[in-house]
Amino acid sequence: MAIKMSRTFLLRKLHQLTGIVPLGLFFFVHMFTNSKAMNGEEIFNKAVADIHYLPFLLFIEIFGIFIPLLFHSVYGIFISAESRSNVLSYGYGRNWLYFFQRATGVFLFVFLLFHLLHFRWGLFGSFGLTDVAVAGNADKAFAIVAADFQTVWVLVFYILGIAATAWHLGYGLFLFAVDWGLVIGEKAQKFALYTSAAVAIGLFAVGTNAAFSFVRPCGLLPQVLCEDASKTKVVETREF
Amino acid sequence: MSAANGNGAVAEKETLDNPPQVIKVNIKRRENLDSQQYTETFEIPYRRNLNIISVLMDIRKHPVTADGKETTPPVWDMNCLEQVCGICTMVINGRVRQSCSALVDDILIESGGNTIDLQPMTKFPNVRDLKVDRNPMFDHLKKVHAWIELDGSYDLGPGPKTSQEVQSERYAYSRCMTCGCCLEACPQYHDDNYIGPQAIAQVRLFNMHPTGKNTRDDRLEALMDDDGIANCGNSQNCVQVCPMGLPLTRAIYETNREVTVHGLFGWLRK
Repeated sequence: MAIKMSRTFLLRKLHQLTGIVPLGLFFFVHMFTNSKAMNGEEIFNKAVADIHYLPFLLFIEIFGIFIPLLFHSVYGIFISAESRSNVLSYGYGRNWLYFFQRATGVFLFVFLLFHLLHFRWGLFGSFGLTDVAVAGNADKAFAIVAADFQTVWVLVFYILGIAATAWHLGYGLFLFAVDWGLVIGEKAQKFALYTSAAVAIGLFAVGTNAAFSFVRPCGLLPQVLCEDASKTKVVETREF
Repeated sequence: MSAANGNGAVAEKETLDNPPQVIKVNIKRRENLDSQQYTETFEIPYRRNLNIISVLMDIRKHPVTADGKETTPPVWDMNCLEQVCGICTMVINGRVRQSCSALVDDILIESGGNTIDLQPMTKFPNVRDLKVDRNPMFDHLKKVHAWIELDGSYDLGPGPKTSQEVQSERYAYSRCMTCGCCLEACPQYHDDNYIGPQAIAQVRLFNMHPTGKNTRDDRLEALMDDDGIANCGNSQNCVQVCPMGLPLTRAIYETNREVTVHGLFGWLRK
């Protein structure tokens, strides 16, 4: 007997899944790559170049990022529009989390649109920002970001974006766990929620530190932690 | 429900030390399904041990608003008066609950004033004043096949044994009185777009029954419809407001697991 499944059911399950794989996974990789800026311009530009030389890059970009992102964000806006939040009458903690998942989602829609137009396509030249895209210009990648992060509102906006993404993804892990029935009981829910919070805090810390690495060497961390970079660079220079 | 401590002694009920002379009651009213909602304010003298039902009864005896206008007695539903039938559910000071077990002293201690706001549940058709039509919930129960096929052409004999664990979990779900609190507090439920925690808990109740298991897939597939379980947004308000203390999130998440396995991975068994 064929299993009856509605469109809503399939789309919701797909929405929950795309948030974790590939989008959540991508965010981990993204923050990790950004953190290479801790060790300076050369290392970071090399990391960007490495991405440029990934095999099947266009395929990965379209099917691994753009299409899932477009689906997740547009369907997410649709889900948010359906919500009738009542946090003022029922101010329970989980109800606030429900509200913030939608609030961060809508904010991220705006932020990611800006982020893509800005660094992926360099379309914000008329706003006093660099009009060269990071994508395709690996040799200038660090310089472009560093120049734009000198503008305070840009840096603040990016840190808010990182915070919102960390929150949305962290709590999203909890939501995925309960929506797919991995986590059921109250004890398990609590454990999953703490884990989610730890992931969110970790991602926010790593991401923010990476953002500050474009303003100050080694970001917010003491510079001793990044001193080894100069030694590593020598090894990387091929003289044989 | 009486709050009993570990020794079996009933905890002392909190009462107002300096009760107000009069209580102001704002009631959202409506003539019939199609008419506009309006608010009328009543004032009644305070007395000890009032609950919302007795407040409404006092108003009914003398249906005159605070500014002296004669009006019709407010309409509301009530039956058991001991929080097991669910029919007197309404929104009291912004929070959904049963009016029979809503004690005036508790409400005034919590709000710190002498005003009580009463309005009908907002997610169901408002028949008149504080009375709503809860039929959508019974339609949900029909949709998910919330019963067990027992009748045969001969005596089927006693059903299979169930473990104590299953019994106690099923007992918890069986306490549902279809009052509507969970749907009223659910930020996802409006315009009957989502079948809601109440029906999902009943799916769990009947899917856990040894005989009910035979029609398990019918119930799961009803929950995979457009208004099904995937609409849950995990605000978890349902489990907070449920007056019978049903483990509603457990019911939803257990069913999520079954629906995921059956709906998404079912084809892998072919």
